[in-house]
Amino acid sequence: MFESIQQWFLGGYQQFFNTMIEGNRYLMLLEGLGVTVKVALGAAVIGILMGCVIALMALSKLRIARSFASLYVTVIRGTPVVVQLLIMYYIIMLSYTGPKEVVAIVTFGLNSAAYVSEMVRGGILAIDKGQTEAGRSLGLSGASTMLLIVLPQTVKVILPSLFNEFIMLLKETSVVGFIGLMDLAKAGDYIRSRTYSAFVPLLSVAAVYLVIVIGLTQIFGRVERRLRQGDSR
Amino acid sequence: MIHVNGLTKDFGQLQVLRGIDEHIKKGERVVVIGPSGSGKSTFLRCLNLLERPTSGQILFNLELPGGGFQELDITARGVQIDKVRQKMGMVFQHFNLFPHKTVLENITLAPVHLKLMSKAAATDKAMGLLERVGLVDKANAYPAQLSGGQKQRIAIVRSLAMDPEVMLFDEPTSALDPEMVGEVLDVMKQLAIDGMTMVVVTHEMGFAREVGDRVLFMDEGLVVEQGTPEQIFGNPQNQRTQDFLGKLL
Repeated sequence: MFESIQQWFLGGYQQFFNTMIEGNRYLMLLEGLGVTVKVALGAAVIGILMGCVIALMALSKLRIARSFASLYVTVIRGTPVVVQLLIMYYIIMLSYTGPKEVVAIVTFGLNSAAYVSEMVRGGILAIDKGQTEAGRSLGLSGASTMLLIVLPQTVKVILPSLFNEFIMLLKETSVVGFIGLMDLAKAGDYIRSRTYSAFVPLLSVAAVYLVIVIGLTQIFGRVERRLRQGDSR
Repeated sequence: MIHVNGLTKDFGQLQVLRGIDEHIKKGERVVVIGPSGSGKSTFLRCLNLLERPTSGQILFNLELPGGGFQELDITARGVQIDKVRQKMGMVFQHFNLFPHKTVLENITLAPVHLKLMSKAAATDKAMGLLERVGLVDKANAYPAQLSGGQKQRIAIVRSLAMDPEVMLFDEPTSALDPEMVGEVLDVMKQLAIDGMTMVVVTHEMGFAREVGDRVLFMDEGLVVEQGTPEQIFGNPQNQRTQDFLGKLL
């Protein structure tokens, strides 16, 4: 009995050694993780900036702006991100020859923008109309009122959903292997194919994602709590 | 200072203002009273175009940078309404302080952002105004830490920091606990003594009687009766004015 358990652990270590340590293959996971983080962060920045722009268009007085925002959100939300990625790589950015990360960042940024814009739109609508009226009655322009008074308050309202969106984004980038990028997920899969052993590489990849998401959740929770304290000041 | 000619405002089918002609003179304190739904708040909000009139003219004497005045129809197309609003302070029923800014930032935000004053000058001015309303110690507090009466006094100071030529008050004490009404009215009385042109929509008849130069009684979108406080409160001529005041007193 004891021997068989010992055997099992030894076998596990052997597998781990064969797949991850030998040939320093764990370094591939680390490199992949770098790509994952780079794409997710880059996309988040584009997503937030573009998301605000789309949200403002959706709330604009101009009919064309509203139509564009509505069309944008419909198309992006209505198609899978993998398909968007392939279209971006093989059609829209066909003549582009730089790093593939950029293609991924642009795609996921534009994708995320659609979801973020809906959050921002909802957040802006949740701010009391009196805030806008107070700003305008002081002689501030509509744009200044939005930028100095409404949007800062919106951020606080939508922060929890923004955090959630970032976590989704981080995991969604695991499909960038479709355009030949070696991210965390693709690295694990590559090790699996090289070593003919799926167990350790794939569970390792899953574990890394999980640890990052748990870490982020902790940080985000702390930030939120701190902001909420501000309410009762 | 403000000429209102044939002002009407519809909200869809509903006619809220049905033709108002008024002249508010410089230094005058005009108090607008009337039952709820009579259009008095809408009238006030039209004066700085928070509501866009359906028809009619609002002429405002805008002081020109080089001295002198320009009479401007602020309802006309292409008018720089932001410039006009800088000269018209507005105080709201629900204060509308900016919750993410300190008291001091609330007051200095507009003058500094609009480059009317340097940050240091605006801060000096703000502290001076806070001194006048007895709230210097709250300069670095956030609105959530203040009582209703304190918030409204800050809101008044925030408007005054822009050096307005006229102050519009939209039921400034209606959202306050009774024990806080007095402190806000005191600030407004002081402002009246200092000669500020004021248009006040209120339910505070005592204030109207004491401070008003002229009282407008509005009902169903029209100014039904107007006169000095003595005339309106002492000897109202119109049946509806009598009914309204009868219910209050």
